Amino acid sequence: MTTIAMLRIDSPRARRTRIGALLAGALLLGACDMDIANTNAPTIDDLVDSPTRDILATAATGIFARAFNDVGTEIQFYAIYGREGYNLDGNDPRDVDEQVAGPQNAAARSGAIWIGQYNAIRHINTYLAALPNATGLSEAEVRASMGFAKTLKAWHFARLAIRTGELGIPIDVDRPISEEPAPFVSFADALEYVSDLLDEARDDLVAAGGAAFPFPVAPGFDDFDTPARFLQFNRALAAKVLVYRATFNDCSACWAQAATALSESFITDAGLPGSLSLGVYYGYTGLADEFSNPITEPLSGNQLWVHSSIVTGVQRRGDGSPDLRFTRKVMDSGRVHTYKELTGTHKPVLYNNPSNRAEPNPAAWVPWITNEELLLLRAEIRWHTGDKAGAISDIDLIRQHAGGLDPTSLTPASSDDEFIDELLYNRLYSLMWSQGVRWIDARRYDRLDTLPIDRPGDQIFTNMLVPAAECAARGHDVPCTPLTAQSN
Amino acid sequence: MPKRRKTPWLWLALLGLLLPAELAAQGRSITGRVVDGATMQPISNASVSVVGAPVANAALTDAQGRFTLTVPEGQVRLSVQALGYVRMEVEITPGQSQFEFALQPDVFRLEELVVTGQATTIDRRSATTSIAYVAGDDVKRVTSPTILNAMAGKLTGVSLQTNSGAPGGGIQMQIRGTNTLLGGFDPLFVVDGVIYSNVSIPGGRGFANQAANAQMEADAVNRIADLNPADIASIEVLKGAAASSIYGSKAANGVVVIRTVRGVAGAPQFNITQRIGISTPLRNYESRRWTREEALEWFDEDVVNYWFTEENPNPYYDNAAKVYGQRKPSYETIVDVRGGTESTRYYASGTVSREEGIERNTGAGRQSLRVNLDQEFGSKVDLSLSSAYNRSVNDRGWNNNCNNYACHGYALAYLPSFIDISRRNPDGTYIDPRQFTIVKSNPLQLAELGVNHEETNRFTGGFNLGWNALQTDRQSLRFVAGGGVDVFEQANEVWTPNELYFEQSEVFPGEAIQSGGRSLYHNWNVNAIHTLDGEGWSAMTSAGLQYEDRRLTTSMIRTQDLLPGQRNVNRGTQTSVTEELEHERTIALYLSEQLRLFDSRLLLQTGFRAERSSVNGSTDRYFVYPNASVSYRFMDLLGEGSEVKLRVAYGETGNQPLFGQKFTTLATPKIGGRRGLAVATDAGFEDIEPERLKEVEVGIDGIVLDNRLTWELTGFVRNTTNLLLERVPAPSTGFSSVPFNGGKIRNSGVEFALGVTPVRSADMTWVSRVAFTHYVGKVVDLAGQPAFFPAGSGFGGLGQTRIEEGKSITQIVGYTFTPDGGRSASMTQLGDATPDFRVGFVNDLSYRNWNFAAVLDWQQGGNVVNLTRFLQDANATSPDWATPEGQRRFLAASRVITEPYVEDATFVKLREVSVLYDVPVSVTQSIGLGLRHLRLGLTGRNLFMWTRYSGLDPEVANFGATAVRHPLDITPYPPSRSIYFNISVGF
Repeated sequence: MTTIAMLRIDSPRARRTRIGALLAGALLLGACDMDIANTNAPTIDDLVDSPTRDILATAATGIFARAFNDVGTEIQFYAIYGREGYNLDGNDPRDVDEQVAGPQNAAARSGAIWIGQYNAIRHINTYLAALPNATGLSEAEVRASMGFAKTLKAWHFARLAIRTGELGIPIDVDRPISEEPAPFVSFADALEYVSDLLDEARDDLVAAGGAAFPFPVAPGFDDFDTPARFLQFNRALAAKVLVYRATFNDCSACWAQAATALSESFITDAGLPGSLSLGVYYGYTGLADEFSNPITEPLSGNQLWVHSSIVTGVQRRGDGSPDLRFTRKVMDSGRVHTYKELTGTHKPVLYNNPSNRAEPNPAAWVPWITNEELLLLRAEIRWHTGDKAGAISDIDLIRQHAGGLDPTSLTPASSDDEFIDELLYNRLYSLMWSQGVRWIDARRYDRLDTLPIDRPGDQIFTNMLVPAAECAARGHDVPCTPLTAQSN
Repeated sequence: MPKRRKTPWLWLALLGLLLPAELAAQGRSITGRVVDGATMQPISNASVSVVGAPVANAALTDAQGRFTLTVPEGQVRLSVQALGYVRMEVEITPGQSQFEFALQPDVFRLEELVVTGQATTIDRRSATTSIAYVAGDDVKRVTSPTILNAMAGKLTGVSLQTNSGAPGGGIQMQIRGTNTLLGGFDPLFVVDGVIYSNVSIPGGRGFANQAANAQMEADAVNRIADLNPADIASIEVLKGAAASSIYGSKAANGVVVIRTVRGVAGAPQFNITQRIGISTPLRNYESRRWTREEALEWFDEDVVNYWFTEENPNPYYDNAAKVYGQRKPSYETIVDVRGGTESTRYYASGTVSREEGIERNTGAGRQSLRVNLDQEFGSKVDLSLSSAYNRSVNDRGWNNNCNNYACHGYALAYLPSFIDISRRNPDGTYIDPRQFTIVKSNPLQLAELGVNHEETNRFTGGFNLGWNALQTDRQSLRFVAGGGVDVFEQANEVWTPNELYFEQSEVFPGEAIQSGGRSLYHNWNVNAIHTLDGEGWSAMTSAGLQYEDRRLTTSMIRTQDLLPGQRNVNRGTQTSVTEELEHERTIALYLSEQLRLFDSRLLLQTGFRAERSSVNGSTDRYFVYPNASVSYRFMDLLGEGSEVKLRVAYGETGNQPLFGQKFTTLATPKIGGRRGLAVATDAGFEDIEPERLKEVEVGIDGIVLDNRLTWELTGFVRNTTNLLLERVPAPSTGFSSVPFNGGKIRNSGVEFALGVTPVRSADMTWVSRVAFTHYVGKVVDLAGQPAFFPAGSGFGGLGQTRIEEGKSITQIVGYTFTPDGGRSASMTQLGDATPDFRVGFVNDLSYRNWNFAAVLDWQQGGNVVNLTRFLQDANATSPDWATPEGQRRFLAASRVITEPYVEDATFVKLREVSVLYDVPVSVTQSIGLGLRHLRLGLTGRNLFMWTRYSGLDPEVANFGATAVRHPLDITPYPPSRSIYFNISVGF
C-alpha cells in the first residue's frame, strides 16, 4: 500500500507520531465497554444467569400471574360451545357466527387462546432451568419450587390437550426459538405426559418435607401455601386428569389411579356445606394493573346470557323452588334480549356482588378446583370402579348440601346412562360457567348430540383448531392437522 | 477579453504527465491582473499557479489584483482561483507574458469544499458523488421554522414531510426513498463535527385527546428545530452510500453535514437583523351551509329551533376562522459580530425569535447564543471551537387525531355551521356543544384553557484540534483530534382541566401530564491525514478512530381524575408513570485514500469503515462498510473552459438495530400487590445485525458556456438487505413475535440539477436553478413473511401503507366499491405516497441594488389520504355534501370504503419570495455612524399553493415520524403563509 511505503521513508519523528496514534487507538478500541444492558425491563438473562433467591421468588409470582392467562376467555368460549350460554352483546358477530354456526376459523376465534398457555409454559421451563443454579436456596426449597412449577406446567398442558382434543398438541416445546417447532403428540399421549409430570411434581413436593415455599403464594392459594398442602392440590388435579383419561382416552386402569390420587387430595366429607368451597381459586383482585374478573357484568349488560335449557332443565326442591345452585348463580334479567335470532333471558351472576347481584364484582374469584368438584369426581370414580352405592351417596351429598334437593332416585341397579344423566346434571349446576363443564362432559361421554341447537345450521363442535400461526410456522395450509401430517 | 485556444484534452493529459517535477531555475515571468468578470473590480488574494506544479509556488494577487508568476518556457496551463469565484484554467502560449483573468462569481457553489471523511474535504466540482449543497445565505434569506423547512425546493434527491402546519417544526427528511421498513428512518445530522440529535419526543397530547396511537399521533417536534438557521454557513447532504459510508451504520438514511459561520480576519463587523411579520391561513376548514329542513334530518327539533330563529333564519358561522383567527405579529432579531486577526478569528451571535401561530394560544420561540472561535498557534497547530446554547419553546395546540372531539379540526368536522361556538353563557364560559350535538368539546374553550407546552434547553459544543506535524514541498502529515457534546433537556406539560366539557364527560375528569426527555450525545475522533504531491498527481491518505455514544431517557407522569382547578400530577387519583432509556455506543476505525491523477482530472476515492456497536447482537464483531468511486473530468469538451465530469460510485452503509431488539425482556405482571417476572411474548434476537445498504451511483456533470450553465445528472440503484423485520414464530414457542434480519427492498431513481445564468452583466444577474427528482421503491423480498402493516401505517381500513412483496414500498391500500355499491372483500392498492417526480425552481435576480428571489416547488403525482373529508362526509358538514359526488362519498364513509379519499397530491407551492434592497453606499455613508450596509426587504413563506387537492395541505402526515410514511390528513393544524418585513444593518 502506498501509504506504508511512503511513511517508511519519513523522518523518525513522523514514525514516532504514527506509532503513538496507533497505541492510542488500540487503547481506545480495547478499553470501552460495549455491552450496554437494557435497563428498561428485566431480561431473560437476569433470570437464567444469576438466579438469586429474590429473583426466583419474583419469577414464581410470575408463574402464578401467568396461570390467569385466558381463564376468562376459555370459560366464555367453552360456555358457548357447550351451550351453557351465549355472548349476545353484538360487538363482534363472530360470537354468534363462527362460535355457534361455524365454520370454525383457525385464524380467528377457533384458533385463539393457544399462545397464553405456551408462553406460561416457556416461563415455567425457564424457571425450572434456573433452579439448579440458584443461590440462597436450600435443597428442600429447590424441590418445593420444582414441585410447584411442574404442577402448574402440567396443568397448562392439560388445558391445551383438552382444547384441541384428537388434534393433539406439541409437548417438547422447551427448545430455542431457532429450532424446528416441537412435534405434535396425540391426545392420549399428551394427557399421559401430564399425569407423569404431576407425579414427578408430587415426588418433589414430598421430598421438600416440612420446608416452606421460598416465595409467597398468590391470592386464591390461601389454604395451600405449604408444600404439604400444595401436594393435596396436586393430587386433586391428578385425579381430575386421570378421570379425563379414563373417559376421553379409554384408559380403564386410570380409574383406580384416580381413586388413589383423590384419596391423597384435600377432599373431605366434614364441614359440609361450608367445606364445599374449600379449594384453590384464581384470585382476582380487581386492583388497577392487576387482574379483574372477566366474566362479570351488570344485570343491564348484554354480553353474558345463560342458555334457556339450563333454566328449563333445573330440578325442583321439595317446596317447588329451584335447585339452590341455580338460584345462587343465575338471575332473571327481567327482559328478553335477542341478537341474530338467539335470545337470552337469564344471566350468570355467580361472579357478581353477593349482596347486590345486579352489580358486577371485578374482584370475584374463579374456582380452580374445589371440594365440591372433588366429591363429584369421587362419585364418578366410585361408579366406574364398582362402588355404585358409594357413588350414589356422594351424589346425594352434593344434591343435599349444594342444591338443597331431595336424594336421587338412582339405585345401584340403575343403568350407566341414568347415572351419567344425574352425574352430568349435578356437575353442570355445581360447576357451570367456571370451566366449560357441559362441553367437556358431553365430549367425554359422547353426548354432544344432546346439546341444544337453537337455529337451523348451528353446530356443536368437538374441539378447537390448531391456530393458523402454528400451521404457518410449520409450513402447512390452514386449517392443519399436524399430527396426521407427521405420521405420513 | 484575451483569447484562449482550444486544446484537445488528450494532448493536455500527456502534457501534464510530461511536465518536469521541478520548475527550471530560468523560466519566464507572467504578470497580470485578476478581476471580477461582472463588475471588473480587482480581486485580491487570488491564487495564480501552474497546473501540476506544487501549490507553494503559486502567486497571490495584491489589493489591485496584480500578480507576478514565474513559469517554465513554452506552453503552460495556468490555474486561477479565488474564494467565491469559479476557478479558471487557461492555456498560455509561449509568446504571452501579460494576462488579465476575469473570474465569474461562483453562483453555483462549485468551488465549495464538501466533506469526504471525518477530517477531509474536496472541492465540489471534483467530487466523485452527488452531494447536495445549500449555502447558508439560501437558508437564512426567508424566515423558516427549522432549517429543513428552508431546504424545500432547493435540492435533488431529498423529500421533506411536514406533520402539520403548526409553528416551530415537526418535519422529517427522507433521502433517496424509504431505505428501511422497521428500522431507524432519520438521516444522521452532524453539526461542526458533532453528532446532533434529531429525535422527536412526543409530549402527551395524544393521551389527553385519546388518539388511537397516542405517542405516534402527538405531532411531536423533532429536535432539528433547535438549530438556529441564522448561524448556518453551509449544509451538505450526503445522499449516496459512497459518500456517507464514512458514517457507517448510522448513515443508511443519508447524512446532513452542517457547518456554522466562522470568524473572518479583519476589523469587527456587527450585523443586526430585525424581522417582523404576520401569518395568515393558507387554507382553512370549510363547512357546509344548512337549511332548516336539512338540519331537522340530523338534529332534534329543539336544537334546530334554538339556532334557526326569526331574526336569523339562515344561520351560518365560520367557526374555523374563529379558532384559527389569531393574528399576532411574529418577529426575529439577530445580532452577530465577526472579526479577528490572522491567528484568531471569532464569530458570535445571538438570536431571539418568536413565530406566532394562527391558532389561538399557539406559537413557537427560539433564543440562541453562539460563539465560534478559531485560533492558530504558530503555523503548526490550529484549534477551532464551536459552542451554542439554545432554548426552544413551543405551544402546539390541539390538532390531528382525537377520539374525544378535543382536537379543533375534529370537532369542527362534526359541528354544523349553524352553531356558533363563540357564543358565551351568562357566566362568561363558552357554550357547551353537548347540549346540541354529540360533540363534547368547544374548540374555543379548549384553546383558552388547555395547556400543551414544550420547553427545551440545549447545548452543543465541539472542537477540532489540528497539528501539522510535517509540511514539505511534497508531502504533509496532519493530525486532527475532534469531538463534541450535544445535550438537551426537553420538558412537556399537557393540562386539560376538569372544566373542559369533554373532560366532564370522562369517567376520570381532568388530565395532567408531565413528560420529557434528557439526551446526551458525544462523539470523539482522532485522524491522521497524509498527502503526497507529485507531478500532476497527488495522494491523500487518511485514517482514524471514532467513538460515539448516544443516550436518551424519556419519562412521563400521567394523572387523571384531577381535583378541580388543580394541574399538578400529584393532584389526581389515576396516575401512571413510564420511563425508558436508550443507550448506544459505537467504536469505529476508517481508512480512506484519495488519488488525483492527470492534473486532477482523474479522481479516485476508496476506503472503508469498520465499526462495532453495542446494539448489535455480537458487540465484538466489526461490520465493514467499503466505498469506491471515480470521476474523470473532460476539459474543454463542449467549448473552451468547459468541463464534463463522468463519475461512478459504489458504497455500502448500514442501519443499526434498534436499542433492545437483541434482548428478550421479561414482563412484570402484578398479582396480590406483588410484582412478578415472566417471560414476555416478544422475543429478542441475540444475533441481530445492522441492515445493509449497497448502492451504485453514476453521474454526468457539466460546466459549459463560460460557467453560465451547469448541470448534474445522477442515476442510482440501491438495495437494502438484511432488513430488520419481525416474524411470527410458532405460538407453541410461547412467543408471538421475534425480530430477524432478512428481506430486500430497492430504491432507484434519477436526479437532475440544472443551473443557468441567463443574464450576467454589470447591472443585472439572473441565476436560475432547477432540481428534478424521480425515484421508485419496491419491496423485492420479504423473506417468506406475509404482507404486513408497518408501524404508523394509518388507521385500519382507512388508507394504510402495506408492505407487500413485489409492490411499491409506499403503496396505499384500502377498500373499494363493488359494482352493487358494497364494500370490496379485501383491500387493494389505491395509490402511492411516492410522487411521480418533484421539481424545484429557484430564481435569483439582482438588478443594481435590488434582489428578487423566489422558490417554487412542484410535486407531480403521489397520493394523500383525506380523512378530514371522511369525517366531514360522515357528519354531513363537508361543503359539497349535498351534491351527487358528496353523496357518493357519504355512502363510502358509512361503509368504510377508502377509495374516494385517496386523492392526488399534485401541487405547486410558492415556498419563498424575497425582495431586498441594499441602500446605496452614498446614502449609508451620509448617515454615518460607521454604517457599512443597510438592507431592507420583504420576504414571504408559503405564499401560494395551487393544487386540486380538496383538503388543507397535501403534504401533512399524521404519522410523520415513521419509516414508511405517507401523507395522511386528519384535522391537522392548517398551513399558514407568512410575510416579513426585514431590516438589516451592518457596522
